[in-house]
Amino acid sequence: MTTLIKLEIMRTLRNKRYLLFTVLYPALLYVFFISAYSGGSVAGGIPAKSYFMVSMATFGAVGAVLTGSAQRISLERKSGWVRQLRLTALPGRAYTLGKIAACAVTTLPAIGVVFAIGAIEGVHLSAAQWLGLAAALWLGSFVFAALGVALGYAAQPDAVQPIVMIVYMLMALFGGTWFPVGDSLKKFAQFNPVYLYNRLAGFVQPGHTLDTTAVAGLAAFLALFVAVAAHLYRKDARQA
Amino acid sequence: MRNGTGEVAAFRNVSKSYGRVRAVDGLDLVLHPGETVALLGPNGAGKSSSLDLLLGLREPDRGSVSLFGTTPRAAVEAGRVGAMLQSGGLMSDVKVRELVAFACAVHPRGHRPAEVLTQAGITEIADRRVDKLSGGQEQRVRFALAIAGANDLIVLDEPTTGMDVSVRRQFWAAMRAEADAGRTVLFATHYLEEADTIADRVLVLHKGRLIADGTSAEIKAKAGARRISFELHPDDGPVDEAALRALPGTVSLDLTGRPDGVRTVRIRSTDADAGVAGLYRAGLFPRGLEVTSLGLEQAFLTITGAQDEHDSQDERQDERQDEKVEENAR
Repeated sequence: MTTLIKLEIMRTLRNKRYLLFTVLYPALLYVFFISAYSGGSVAGGIPAKSYFMVSMATFGAVGAVLTGSAQRISLERKSGWVRQLRLTALPGRAYTLGKIAACAVTTLPAIGVVFAIGAIEGVHLSAAQWLGLAAALWLGSFVFAALGVALGYAAQPDAVQPIVMIVYMLMALFGGTWFPVGDSLKKFAQFNPVYLYNRLAGFVQPGHTLDTTAVAGLAAFLALFVAVAAHLYRKDARQA
Repeated sequence: MRNGTGEVAAFRNVSKSYGRVRAVDGLDLVLHPGETVALLGPNGAGKSSSLDLLLGLREPDRGSVSLFGTTPRAAVEAGRVGAMLQSGGLMSDVKVRELVAFACAVHPRGHRPAEVLTQAGITEIADRRVDKLSGGQEQRVRFALAIAGANDLIVLDEPTTGMDVSVRRQFWAAMRAEADAGRTVLFATHYLEEADTIADRVLVLHKGRLIADGTSAEIKAKAGARRISFELHPDDGPVDEAALRALPGTVSLDLTGRPDGVRTVRIRSTDADAGVAGLYRAGLFPRGLEVTSLGLEQAFLTITGAQDEHDSQDERQDERQDEKVEENAR
């Protein structure tokens, strides 16, 4: 199984489109936001460079795992690679685990590049905070990897791309990726995994601790997405 | 025989439907060690469905499929089966060499990747990206995946689709090497020439049923393997159609007349020698007599055509259908 996982990671990192959209694109947007706010703060008083460092890291991470899992699974079901793999001695779950593992590795550059820019632009955090923040964002990305697997088994390749884009953009728009969520929308944002994901970063602000409601909410979403993905996976396995 | 039962694979009264379409209908079949078996059938005959059932990619509705005395999945996990599917995709964004190395690594009895690349004839494209290959090259990579380990059975679904003639020859040479090493080979094809020259057993599948099973010579004989054709001129005497039909070995008769009274006769016969002898014995004077051998293709059309005729007669007693089948068989 490790052979498959290694190959999955390597091919993802080798894909130029992946690097462009999930690493370079959020990094460029981040630089753009910093200059657009010219050292100012977003609503709520958080410096723009800190706020967008988190939101662009999550934006890149969500993009990396959604496209990495949903699109590829859907395409490879269609192409028959999934069937071909079923003719190997590998257990059926190896394929999905390989995809999730590849996602987990490939979110790291998306987070790392944005953090590096943030550090250069003068975001000050302690070493423990940097590490804690990276760990929180990395772990949070698994929620979206599970969502991606579910979407990959739910939709055909020609449908999955627009679905992923719409889901991703709506969640980002109302999840605080482009601007802080206003008070009137916060009620609804509780049900948006991207909003909860962005809130994971709150503990680095002075006087804040880890947002346990966000953690609980994400855990619930993870359980939901895993259950749906497992159901769709079993259905797909029966149909070969 | 390397396994105790002498059975590589067995279908026992297997049926499989997709919705209202019955893809496989009561299939009974045993494959023996060392055989090279061709699976023939028109599109939609149930070839791919049968292979899916054999490989455990789908479950039968009724009946059972066993591979090496166990379930298909267990046989796959034990590394006893290699398969090249028509619908088997390849991983993108990897090099041919990496993909083959992966297949060798996950096979319980995997070969060395370099050997497999040579065997499949893809050493020179080993450093190419899989997504940049031509159709024929992709087929050879799929073949490499099917022979990545020491399998006892190799299953190939229309393996030479997209290959040009020289590559196809090279492919069958590689396949023969596998068969000579004692492996059982089962391949589905619609190139009848391949079945004729490569297989030592031919299975004909039609509408999900096995309608013929034998050597290609037997299949041809069953279909009336030779054609006797000649002309009868009016000045040589009257033509008795009943006498022509009564010739030994006659499977079908086709009689056409020209305005000048010359009639062309084409007889499909299982015993052309006796048929020609009977012709003279009946006092006829055939002109321009030719006896030609039918290819497996004609035999195949005859068998499936006869089966269609049989089916339609079962469903409704339609006399006109007879003529239509004659028409098709011609």
